[in-house]
Amino acid sequence: MKSLVSRLRQPAPAWLRYFGWNTDHKVIGVQYLVTTFFFFLVGGALAMVVRTELLQPGVDVVNGTQYNRVMTNHGSLMIFLWVIPVLAGFGNYFVPLMIGARDMAFPRMNALSFWLIPPGGLLMIASFFAGAAEAGWTAYVPLSIRTPDGQTLWALGVIVLGTSSILGAVNFLTTIVTMRAPGMTLWRLPLFVWGIIATSLLVLSATPVLTAGLIMVALDRLVGTQFFAVAGGGDPVLWQNLFWFYSHPAVYIMILPGMGIISEVFPVFSRKPIFGYRMIALSSLAIAVLGLTVWAHHMFTSGMDPRLRIPYMVSSMVIAVPTGVKIFSWLATIWNGKLRFTTPMLFAMGFISQFLIGGLTGIFLAAIPVDLHVHDTYFVVAHLHFVLFGGSVSAIYAGLYYWYPKITGRMYDERLGQAHFWMNFIGMSLTYLPMFLAGLQGMPRRVADYDPNFLVPNQLASFGGFLLGISVLPFLYNAFVSLRSGKEAGGNPWRALTLEWQTSSPPPQHNFEQEPVITHGPYDYGEGHLAPHPAGAPAAGE
Amino acid sequence: MKERSILLVIFAALILTAGGYLAATQLHLMPFQASTRAVEVDRLFQLLLGITAVIFLLVEGALVYAALRFRRKPGDDTDAVPVHGNNALEILWTLIPAAIVVFVGIYSVQVLQDIERPQENTLVVEVIGRQFTWEFHYPEDNVTTSELHLPVGRPVLFQITAEDVIHSFWVPEFRAKRDATPGQMAELRITPSQPGRFPIRCAELCGPGHAGMISEVVVEDQAAYDAWLAAAKTGPSDPVEIFTQFGCAACHTLAAAGSNGQVGPPLDGLAATAANRVPGLSAEEYVRQSILEPGAHVVQPFANGLMPADFGQRLTDEQLDALIEFLLAN
Repeated sequence: MKSLVSRLRQPAPAWLRYFGWNTDHKVIGVQYLVTTFFFFLVGGALAMVVRTELLQPGVDVVNGTQYNRVMTNHGSLMIFLWVIPVLAGFGNYFVPLMIGARDMAFPRMNALSFWLIPPGGLLMIASFFAGAAEAGWTAYVPLSIRTPDGQTLWALGVIVLGTSSILGAVNFLTTIVTMRAPGMTLWRLPLFVWGIIATSLLVLSATPVLTAGLIMVALDRLVGTQFFAVAGGGDPVLWQNLFWFYSHPAVYIMILPGMGIISEVFPVFSRKPIFGYRMIALSSLAIAVLGLTVWAHHMFTSGMDPRLRIPYMVSSMVIAVPTGVKIFSWLATIWNGKLRFTTPMLFAMGFISQFLIGGLTGIFLAAIPVDLHVHDTYFVVAHLHFVLFGGSVSAIYAGLYYWYPKITGRMYDERLGQAHFWMNFIGMSLTYLPMFLAGLQGMPRRVADYDPNFLVPNQLASFGGFLLGISVLPFLYNAFVSLRSGKEAGGNPWRALTLEWQTSSPPPQHNFEQEPVITHGPYDYGEGHLAPHPAGAPAAGE
Repeated sequence: MKERSILLVIFAALILTAGGYLAATQLHLMPFQASTRAVEVDRLFQLLLGITAVIFLLVEGALVYAALRFRRKPGDDTDAVPVHGNNALEILWTLIPAAIVVFVGIYSVQVLQDIERPQENTLVVEVIGRQFTWEFHYPEDNVTTSELHLPVGRPVLFQITAEDVIHSFWVPEFRAKRDATPGQMAELRITPSQPGRFPIRCAELCGPGHAGMISEVVVEDQAAYDAWLAAAKTGPSDPVEIFTQFGCAACHTLAAAGSNGQVGPPLDGLAATAANRVPGLSAEEYVRQSILEPGAHVVQPFANGLMPADFGQRLTDEQLDALIEFLLAN
């Protein structure tokens, strides 16, 4: 009896806290990163099914219904359970550390935001047993009213995940506004924190609208309301407005924190201050504000009032300007720098080169006459993957490698990291570039079968897709093995200036031994703020 | 050092100009131009291709150049020379893209107005999308068909709607697409400029048979069009044509009609299965009922409600009889 009591009183082993309710933002951050990566793998497996089906024309592996289910859940998982929440995971772990806070403003609400994600994901995956959602991640009505019961589970899942995202945004903004360490003025905030501010503002403005729309879909399905039913005086185009009012800003929700990560990586590995700090921070806010005004560019072919198309075209094109500011500023940051090609640096450069393609092809889609040809074709599939995979996922990988030493206290294996980068980069180009051509030549998106004319681009895309699938293996192996066998990282292996590196790796429970006082900007390299490198010790990652 | 920078700038400017020019004039990525609209859209597309090629080469070139040129020397742990920004440069790379955007925006509006301008002597064709076929109605001649024929050179106004879910009417060779939304009438204008046969594809996900929702537009000279129109007034009588035109082929596999749809039950060998399918119904009665009331006896595991229930109104008695006879003979 006694021994049982004493055994119960013993502190649980450290790793166990990652599996339960915990209010430490660093534990929650890791919970986010690991859970969302699991969903990334599930979404990726569905993509492999898609690419296998499209390896040749004809319906061979899955039929039309199954294809639509696989494709719908691939998109939904990747967006709602991977890119959006994984970036919130980085925010959780690093926002308090970067601003010199001990934790997030509302630690228990923070834990709740995370614990909404597994049930949201399980609802979505469980829908496969009730006739999974098959109307695309866009869930256009009336199709999404007529599909089997899984569609309702899907809608509930997205509502739960949206709630998680809203709670997270409230927490981030409160934390950043109220909990900055002495001397951490707004213009000394790291650019990743600026990215999180812009994203949180977008989440707060746009996510409730999607939630409202999904509730209307659920009501139409469950209790026979007629919000979207023509026969009952409803309007199918209403759903498109509600959906895109959230889902276009969602693209910026998925890219702005990623751009923040890129802005952290370039100065460190160029040993130079970021070029045009304020312009990069302001351009994030500009993208967030403009991003709320462009949604109807997804509806140029739909039943919207033709006169309204031109204002949406203009606002969509104008977003190219702040985006260009960022890209040019990053190039100027590495110009004349002393570049070190570590894995995060490679992913950051890969980000520029791939995201650029996504951004430039966005101008074709904004130009209405061209959009009326390429809308809803593989051109759009290619464009969105260059933005969300070439852009967001490259940035996420850059962040995972960059902060791996901070989170685990160990260095990852640089060779495996570089192999991962090249497989990922080549796989991505091979998968998505041919899709532009297929789309221009006449291949619609979301098809289980296609004209034999499109065989070559589809085969290239499938081989590229399989390479992308395999490219995860060196990453997973690296992440697991380096936990034990990686070299000790020390507090600041990259010799970075931002605050998260000015404490041990991993950081102690309350982040800093004593409250930091900030006296300079986050990227003031070359101005003597760092202790000289210890003589004889090689820099990490060589 | 200075001379080297000047040479670099001149070299880069040459590459960018040449790259932009070649992309705009030599890169042919679009399909055949079968309408006047296609010519105008492609002109805008090629312009965008030229502009974006310059930006692409500039950024990717700078990235690769920086990667090669600004590598850290081994053993050098010092920081680079700190530069925090440059106001003139930052204003420049805000204003130049803004100017390009204004230019592209104005040009796009011009093209848009040109391609959507109403023309005289316009042929009106009503387009109705339903899972998973297109139906065309010519109000001028009161003809309803499932194949689209157009006289070359005459402007066309499509009035597009849908009966069940949203579809999207797209002819890539015309560079024209418009959603077919239930309860709405959307307009799309083109003028076919080249004779030929071009695919019509549904571009909006509309259900399990979306990929097979393909039809064809035949652009032909006025004489051929008139002859087709006269024949179309009576509707198809050949059973294979009935099977294809009324959309059976999109969902059902039938070797005799060359179809391989997967949405509904396969129809090869129907005579044998139909005879014993429902006690008390002969094969002929069963097939007739299944066409007129698709929900009466649903074959597992296919879903109820996907097959249109209005064939009784759309098929003439002669067409229905011919179709049943054909189905039972194969």
